[in-house]
Amino acid sequence: MTARVLLLVAALAIAAALPSLVGEFWVTLLTQIMIFGLLALSADLLLGHAGLFSLCHAAFFAVAAYTTAILQVRHGVSTALAAPAGILAGTILSFVFAFAVRTRGVYFILITLAFGYIIWGVAYRWASFTGGDNGVTNVPFPAIGGLRVAGPTQYYYVVLVAVVLIALAYRVLITSPFGLTLRGIKSSESRMRSLGYDVGSHLYVAFVLSGLIASIAGVLYVYYNRFINPVAASFPVSVEAVLMAIVGGTGTILGPFLGSGIILVLRNWVSGFFHYYTAVLGIVFIVTVLFAPQGIMGLVARWRAGNRGEGA
Amino acid sequence: MLAPPGASFALFLRSFMSGVILQAINGISLAALLFLLASGFTLTFGLMRVVNMAYGAYYLLGGYIGYSVARRTGSFELAILCGGLTIVVLGFFVDRFLIRPIGHNHLAQVLLTVGVAFVIGEVCLAIWGGDNLRVAIPPWLRGGMELPGGLFYPKYRLALIVLGTSTAILLWLLYHKTHIGAVVRAGVDDREMVNATGINVDRLFALVSALASFLAGLAGVVGGAFLTLNPGAEWDILVLALVVVIVGGLGSLEGAILGSIIVGLLDAYGRWLLPEFSYFVLFGPMAVLLLFRATGIFGKEQ
Repeated sequence: MTARVLLLVAALAIAAALPSLVGEFWVTLLTQIMIFGLLALSADLLLGHAGLFSLCHAAFFAVAAYTTAILQVRHGVSTALAAPAGILAGTILSFVFAFAVRTRGVYFILITLAFGYIIWGVAYRWASFTGGDNGVTNVPFPAIGGLRVAGPTQYYYVVLVAVVLIALAYRVLITSPFGLTLRGIKSSESRMRSLGYDVGSHLYVAFVLSGLIASIAGVLYVYYNRFINPVAASFPVSVEAVLMAIVGGTGTILGPFLGSGIILVLRNWVSGFFHYYTAVLGIVFIVTVLFAPQGIMGLVARWRAGNRGEGA
Repeated sequence: MLAPPGASFALFLRSFMSGVILQAINGISLAALLFLLASGFTLTFGLMRVVNMAYGAYYLLGGYIGYSVARRTGSFELAILCGGLTIVVLGFFVDRFLIRPIGHNHLAQVLLTVGVAFVIGEVCLAIWGGDNLRVAIPPWLRGGMELPGGLFYPKYRLALIVLGTSTAILLWLLYHKTHIGAVVRAGVDDREMVNATGINVDRLFALVSALASFLAGLAGVVGGAFLTLNPGAEWDILVLALVVVIVGGLGSLEGAILGSIIVGLLDAYGRWLLPEFSYFVLFGPMAVLLLFRATGIFGKEQ
């Protein structure tokens, strides 16, 4: 336990020191990795702990981002109000979409996919409100009171602090009785039901909390990207978030961030010389499913178990 | 001068009523196209428990191949045949070497076939580019024809309705009235038992899968002649087909028929009356239906 705390402190120290060690390109990329890692983490609360495969997390992400952007850019609302309003809007949407937990398996997957498409369709077609294809541009850096974020490096620290706090809260959540119940439902729903647990309510709450985290990621994203368009609400964003969680390893906290790092570094690298990045992403999907369904964290766990086996 | 209010209202009512009828035919012709895609999806799910998200990409690739064949040879029939058969071959390899090894895990199936769809989509983009393409309609189906009541309507869309309806009837007869259909129905209910009676279930799966792939490729060619073929079209059509199977009930042929008609009509009226919220019009009723009946209209509890 103390070793893990030391490791965490060391990792945080490195993360805090990174901007002075690497160039602005990497600072920006790392910010993006943390934001999409958070989105992947939100999807993994359902996938890794409750066993529900959601394909609509881009919806909460985008609704939060759009709300914040529209309030701040068009109505001059300050960050102190626009950011919470964005998170609130995304979370309210998750209260509605959470009814999907009435279904399981394929139906849940397909229904969340269709839900995600509603939001994409509205972002794309309700052009008078959302700006259509062009979206909302010129989102400023966040400023609360006299505190103003001046550039990508300062914003990196904002995102780092937010992500660390959420990760800690997430850890408390998944180690709580609530988290244990979720994993119980994942491994055997009928057993939890017969033990008297209200399965439906637990899944509903998990879905809403997951939407809350995705909404926070959306608000962090809009201040990072400085503009928002329907692409943020599109199906590839949702499915890529799930892929990130799986590549890194589901049911862990570090996994989704690792997966986000791998996918986004790969995208940056491949896009430099190959026009058809999505084909490469498709191959990553196929290879992950066929050869590494437990992800990086799964490989690490197997490797550690192997070492222990040799020592015994 | 102002027209008498009664006359302008009568005029409005007449144009509104012809709009209602026109959109009904639009909706049914879209339903015919959706049925071609959704029936394959729902049958392969019913029999093999496979969720194949690459059907949209099959549709697009089949359509592009049909486009090229129709351009070279001028034959629409050949375009349909080539589009369909290419997808049969592709579908066979995807089933055999990618989907079968991962077994009955729906999560893995979805991720894998989304990956396949991404790869196919990018290959299409590399070959056919990003422009909107349209498969050439054969001369005898060009132009419009007069319907009873004085409405003019494109012949091609009417032909699509005929194609969709006859496919539905043929599939229904195949499914309910033939020996193969009986075996497939038995396979949907209890695969192990069918296997135990000595029927080669693998060959049956391959047959149904080939039929579904052919229908997807065919849908791409005939759909590519009235919707456009372009990057992203694979997801638009897939989502509509998925709503069809969700509403109708996964694995049910009757559900695919009814679901297609519902989705086609909702889409046509939604685009006409509430263009900005047409997705709401489409998905709202679906969501409400699922709150009360989570497995769709004809779906069975799993």
